[in-house]
Amino acid sequence: MREMISMVVVLTVLTAVSGGLLAAVKSGTQDKIEAQIFKFALAPAMNQIFGEVENDPGKEKFEIEHDGAKYQFYPAKLADGSKAVAFETKGKGGYGGDVGLMVGINIGNDQIVAARVTTHSETPGLGARAKDDPEFVNQFTDKPLDTNLSLKNENGSIDAISGATITSKAVTLAAIQAQDLYKKLKPEILKNIQ
Amino acid sequence: MEFFEIFIAGVFINNILLAQFLGNCPFLGTSKKMETAVGMAMAVIFVLVMAGMITWIVDTYLLKALDVEYLRTVSFILVIASLVQFVEMFLKKSIPGLYAGLGIFLPLITTNCAVMGACLLNISKEYSFLSALVSSFSYAVGFGLALILFAGVRERINLARVPKPLQDTSIGLVTAGIIALTFMSFKGMV
Amino acid sequence: MAQSLAKEFTKGLWAEIPPFRLVLGLCPVLAVTKTVENGIGMGVATTFVLVFANLLISLLRNVIPSKVRIACYIVIIATFVTIVELVMQAYTYELFLKLGIFIPLIVVNCIVLGRAEAFASKNGPALSVADGLGIGIGFTLSLAALGAVREILGAGTITIWGGNPVFEMGPAFHPFAFMVEAPGAFVALGLMLAIMNLIGSK
Repeated sequence: MREMISMVVVLTVLTAVSGGLLAAVKSGTQDKIEAQIFKFALAPAMNQIFGEVENDPGKEKFEIEHDGAKYQFYPAKLADGSKAVAFETKGKGGYGGDVGLMVGINIGNDQIVAARVTTHSETPGLGARAKDDPEFVNQFTDKPLDTNLSLKNENGSIDAISGATITSKAVTLAAIQAQDLYKKLKPEILKNIQ
Repeated sequence: MEFFEIFIAGVFINNILLAQFLGNCPFLGTSKKMETAVGMAMAVIFVLVMAGMITWIVDTYLLKALDVEYLRTVSFILVIASLVQFVEMFLKKSIPGLYAGLGIFLPLITTNCAVMGACLLNISKEYSFLSALVSSFSYAVGFGLALILFAGVRERINLARVPKPLQDTSIGLVTAGIIALTFMSFKGMV
Repeated sequence: MAQSLAKEFTKGLWAEIPPFRLVLGLCPVLAVTKTVENGIGMGVATTFVLVFANLLISLLRNVIPSKVRIACYIVIIATFVTIVELVMQAYTYELFLKLGIFIPLIVVNCIVLGRAEAFASKNGPALSVADGLGIGIGFTLSLAALGAVREILGAGTITIWGGNPVFEMGPAFHPFAFMVEAPGAFVALGLMLAIMNLIGSK
């Protein structure tokens, strides 16, 4: 019996200490990890969307809460002087799970500047089935905010990638979500961009 | 169709042993005889499918729900280790015949990275539950297929005269390389 | 004492150098040695886990009940693996992406659990650290050597941490991509093992 108790106690204490230690390390590295994910996963996508920008979107990012979820917004000052904002949305139901899409929207004329698939930041480097086909995502470029961004077979305006309808659909869902989000949050976004 | 694709990819194209390099210790350790290879293959199929299901549930309903994904490594290995222990106890009591066949291979499976690796791959591909189940099964079948093929070749090598420095593990690895080469021709199939 | 410390440390570098003498932990050896850089990164991460897991297990060896010792070792090892994973994600993100799931898989690397069971559970902390450090450095050297062979033959260059290649074959050399693919890993490791056997048997 004493052996039994000591077994349980040792294992419990060990797991508890382990959990606590890991939580501490996690919170200690959290900011740094987010900065790295931005630098290697989001910044390249943003670079393709906006081209050269005159500010540092990573430093000026702000967060808005909506429907219980937090969204990071990256403001950008474009080369032609207009202001834009980029943010990431997740399209549900992709072939390999959710597909992340970074959408840049010009605040002046409410047009989509461009969009790029970021795949998922969860476990980077692996398993991203959603392919970053520039021809496909270029269909979002310069679309006004009220365009129906569903696939053509759903009376929308976007051609699916042939042979990858499920992925295409997930991407369009992310784009539509981005439209909605921008429409709803625009006043708050403007408040944050000075 | 989707499941069929996952299955073919798991067995042949992304073969867990020959293309993903997971589970190589038992691959070389238990492939000297056909009999042990078959035993190991069966044990892996059994444990991997169960581990794939349980880790998926743990990940989705515990780790992701509580936002503690950094505990994934710790919890997955604990799930696998206790699962193996449990299966061992269960088989010993209820199906002694099967236990006699698989028994000695079960403890080895805890440190078989094919099991842990397949579970992590399922999560990183963000599979649904059914897809994860199919993919676990296909990885396990791929493991078994490669192991049994390899054991067959290795039994023949035992009869050949191999230069002394190349004997045993060394020639085994070179042979595995040639089998991996044949598996490479499956690339681009799906 | 100093002598036995040195002995435990140096045995990992030749007499028991993994994975050549101690044929364990083959998965990372085969998977991440496409380049020298990945090999070293994996080796250092494994060494960190080996040293700290050995130290802690050695300190706790009289507290841990023997029936649940494997479970305890696994928890300790998994904790250090997760720390490595988080730290690499925060500071060496590119390497973290390249090594992918092989970082969490250090947890099932038989070398780590093997040293815990065979050495740290029976010896004091100083000896255990020396053992972990020796085996870890031996493992790193092996990975780097295998990475060098595969990178030179498969790509014709050696590049470490970006920048210019530190080593380049002449223009007459045509790299054969076979070596950086999966089959090349098996063949290269098999042949290096044979060379080690040849040297060792003399």
